[in-house]
Amino acid sequence: MAAIEMRNIVKEYGDGFKAVNDISLNIADGEFMILVGPSGCGKSTLLRMIVGLEDITSGDMVIGGDRVNEKAPRDRNLSMVFQNYALYPHLTVFENIAFPLRLKKGVPEDEIRRRVNEAADMLELHEHLQRKPANLSGGQRQRVAMGRAIVRQVNAFLFDEPLSNLDAKLRGQMRTEISRMQRRLGTTTVYVTHDQTEAMTLGDRVAVLRRGFLQQVASPRELYEQPVNMFVAGFIGSPPMNFLPAVVSGQRLKLPFLEVDLPAIAAGKVTDGQLLIAGIRPEHFEDAKVVDASRREKGAVFRARVDVTEWLGDSQYAYIPFEANEEVTKQLSDLAAELDSEALRTQLIISIDAMSRLRENHEGEFWADTRRMHLFDPRTGNNLTRDEAAAADLASLEEEELRERMDSSDTAAR
Amino acid sequence: MKVSRRTQAFWIAGAILIIAYAIIPVLWIISLSFKEGDDITNKSFLPSTWSWENYKTVFASDLFTTALRNSVGMSLIATTISVILATLAAYAISRLDFPGKRLVLGVALAITVFPVIAIATPLFDLWRNIGLYDTWLGLIIPYLSYSLPLSVYVLAAFFREIPWEMEQAAQVDGATAWQAFRRVIVPLATPGVFTAAILTFFAVWNDFVFGITLTSSEAARPVPAALAFFQGASQFSQPTAPIAAAAVVVTIPVVILVLLFQRKIVAGLTNGAVKG
Repeated sequence: MAAIEMRNIVKEYGDGFKAVNDISLNIADGEFMILVGPSGCGKSTLLRMIVGLEDITSGDMVIGGDRVNEKAPRDRNLSMVFQNYALYPHLTVFENIAFPLRLKKGVPEDEIRRRVNEAADMLELHEHLQRKPANLSGGQRQRVAMGRAIVRQVNAFLFDEPLSNLDAKLRGQMRTEISRMQRRLGTTTVYVTHDQTEAMTLGDRVAVLRRGFLQQVASPRELYEQPVNMFVAGFIGSPPMNFLPAVVSGQRLKLPFLEVDLPAIAAGKVTDGQLLIAGIRPEHFEDAKVVDASRREKGAVFRARVDVTEWLGDSQYAYIPFEANEEVTKQLSDLAAELDSEALRTQLIISIDAMSRLRENHEGEFWADTRRMHLFDPRTGNNLTRDEAAAADLASLEEEELRERMDSSDTAAR
Repeated sequence: MKVSRRTQAFWIAGAILIIAYAIIPVLWIISLSFKEGDDITNKSFLPSTWSWENYKTVFASDLFTTALRNSVGMSLIATTISVILATLAAYAISRLDFPGKRLVLGVALAITVFPVIAIATPLFDLWRNIGLYDTWLGLIIPYLSYSLPLSVYVLAAFFREIPWEMEQAAQVDGATAWQAFRRVIVPLATPGVFTAAILTFFAVWNDFVFGITLTSSEAARPVPAALAFFQGASQFSQPTAPIAAAAVVVTIPVVILVLLFQRKIVAGLTNGAVKG
């Protein structure tokens, strides 16, 4: 087990394209770090630089106190689970898992047997040990790949989108399995994914990347509540955060449908008449009918016409189209393109109580929790309402939790 | 899909025709090899009486047995060396980027289209001068240069099919480049290795031109060349039947080889290595 430290890591290809651009990131011993971002953001490249399959153009990669830039993958003592598992088809499951041990000289046969059986126990692979990978299901192959990773004592586990080849149901199960395994072994883990559910549920901290640049590294909670910019705000959360044009007018802020007081935290940063982008998450809206009076006071109520509703049993979404000026529309569609989606029209997506009976193409009364609204500068994308104190609180909470877990796993190990 | 009776009949007739075309000469040679003495003129397909006489003649003659030994020895040596070199070369060609890669492949291909006879005479002179004439080595060297390019081609195609991740996984698991090659890549390319081996073995086993030009005695003369020097039971009869018997004898190892390895060749390449 070891901490991983990256200092100003750059990956530049022959044509001058920088896939990874000046990334500095510290991963604590035992931490579960997620690298997330849309396709082409450099997350896989960064992972492959940690493991040594990709050369580092400049910067330092330090694992467990040693600079490993020039070390071959086999000398870094890491293990990796590949997206397509990369099992050895000519070997049985047992031999696949035993492979890393067989490469080390002087591991006695009964030691190998014991370690493989231990790994097989943890992953419930016992009845498959003598089968070949070709005869296994996708989930079983995935477990074999994990078995091969955990069979030896390594400095860190690296996962490269390990669940993207599984169907949705299995993905959920394996996600919990990976989380449980990591908590149990307490090994530093770096996990690459483009799936934000995986990012939010698995990671102690999540590093959001965009075009080779690190945007924000924080706990899932902090990313969700205190994003540093529009990109992070739009990337984290499903359905994504709503972005609305907001015009500053004295001490008030004019949005489509509603008008609110300018948040105190943004007061000094904006000028009168400036166009901003307001971000409110779908879950911070509600059908005004089901909001009790005391809560109602703290937000804003507005009327709007519902275009389409989606009822999912446990939740309900309503779509409310609105008109936005050209500049904002362009800004939003650029952002959507970067997030691998498409903004077809400017609309509000709001999540409302599943019990409420809204009718399509009728007006409804809605309530927005404007305390949790964020304001972004449309030119830089920076968040003008990020509460640094609250963010620091969340970060220290996360750190404490990790320390506690590491201490308890240490005592368990003893 | 339902195939109509007529099409089915057509296909069966076609198949029988093609099989007959291929197998009748073989059967004929087998039948000939069992005809004793002047029975070869009996004007019927089958021998009047079945006899092992020709086989006895063949094995009694030193000419054939030493030639058989030469053929087996040289074919095995040439095949082994060729496959080992081809495996390494093909790996380099499929995995590494080095200047002149295309040139290497192009030259290799050019060698195979060179007519064998064009090189036989110069080699004869050269070998005589440097003392390789009428030796095993003198034959193995040209065999290698003709079989290597084909083997490299076959194997390079197989290596290209093996996903890069296999090797990277092995490296991360702690393998050196050599270990990754030997323990992961070669086993995965086994079907290709066997295909290359059989092709090389056939080519060497059936060689006639080099065998006849570069040898002068029993020291290195392979079977196909030796058959040309064959004499019958008596000096006055054409040795047709004994040659047929010898041909049957030299065909047997090849048939066994193919039967032995055909499963290996057919075996899937990267079964279950990646999500399928």
